[in-house]
Amino acid sequence: MVVTTNSSPFGNVTRTRVLLALGLLEDSYARELARVLDLPLSGVQRALQSLERDRLVAARSVGRTRLYRLDPGYFAHADLGRYVTRLLEAESDLRRRVASLRQRPRRTGKPL
Amino acid sequence: MTRGPRGGLPAVALRVGSALEKHGIRGVLTGGACASLYTGGAYHSVDVDIILSGAVSQPELDAAMASIGFGRRRDRYVHPGLPFFVEFPRGPLAIGADHDIRPVRYRRGRSRMLVLSATDACRDRLAAFYHWNDRQSLGNAVRIAARHRVRMSAIRRWSSAEAALVRFEEFRLELDRLRTRRARPARSRVAPRRSTS
Repeated sequence: MVVTTNSSPFGNVTRTRVLLALGLLEDSYARELARVLDLPLSGVQRALQSLERDRLVAARSVGRTRLYRLDPGYFAHADLGRYVTRLLEAESDLRRRVASLRQRPRRTGKPL
Repeated sequence: MTRGPRGGLPAVALRVGSALEKHGIRGVLTGGACASLYTGGAYHSVDVDIILSGAVSQPELDAAMASIGFGRRRDRYVHPGLPFFVEFPRGPLAIGADHDIRPVRYRRGRSRMLVLSATDACRDRLAAFYHWNDRQSLGNAVRIAARHRVRMSAIRRWSSAEAALVRFEEFRLELDRLRTRRARPARSRVAPRRSTS
């Protein structure tokens, strides 16, 4: 079976894609995820809330931003990580989008 | 009118536990409320986290909580006269990757409730330290271990499985420090004057 961006093993497509993106980004916030996944912010926020209720992801506050990641305290965290990694093998477009994001530091004041 | 629970968080948690039992609902107290229980209130939590086991419908849970004056607001239960709220996070009951958790029965007067054992409450706090570098949780794990008998060998084994042996050693060091501080005889607040001659 070929897993595509439309597959939804985690309930719906948005939840699944958010999990996959977090699998690549490790730490991220709703707006960045919405941008990477090209999905409406409200939908991503709803997906994050429901994934948090299911304890698949957890968030901490950094200033006014809520940073999400796959919950390292979830009892099946290691298995979930492996599954997400496996699903990502079929997600070349998502991997390319994430790869285009700048994650390395940039000195304050330096023009973008 | 239903009489609501009074007192601090442990008393409230116990009343909630008893109400759940009366309604045939099995729940285990975890998280910050458990830490508050085992640190003798040194840690203050405002939420009572209870993990339910078995199938419980929303109306059943609502009825059990309403019997002690709690009403549901979204996914948490609040009481008009209390600063605490009660949540039922989704299970399973687990600490890190370990889901073979055996709760213990905590009693006070006629109230009783299933809670994490001291060892598991300590591990629960350590999980937050290991995975989120939360040093407040480290402090609470140390306080729990200092006040109660915990199985250090089990905590070490679990820490190894969580790939956190370095942080476990830090926990042990902090525990030793606290014990040493407590064992030291109290010193006078005023330092003795040194002779200037």
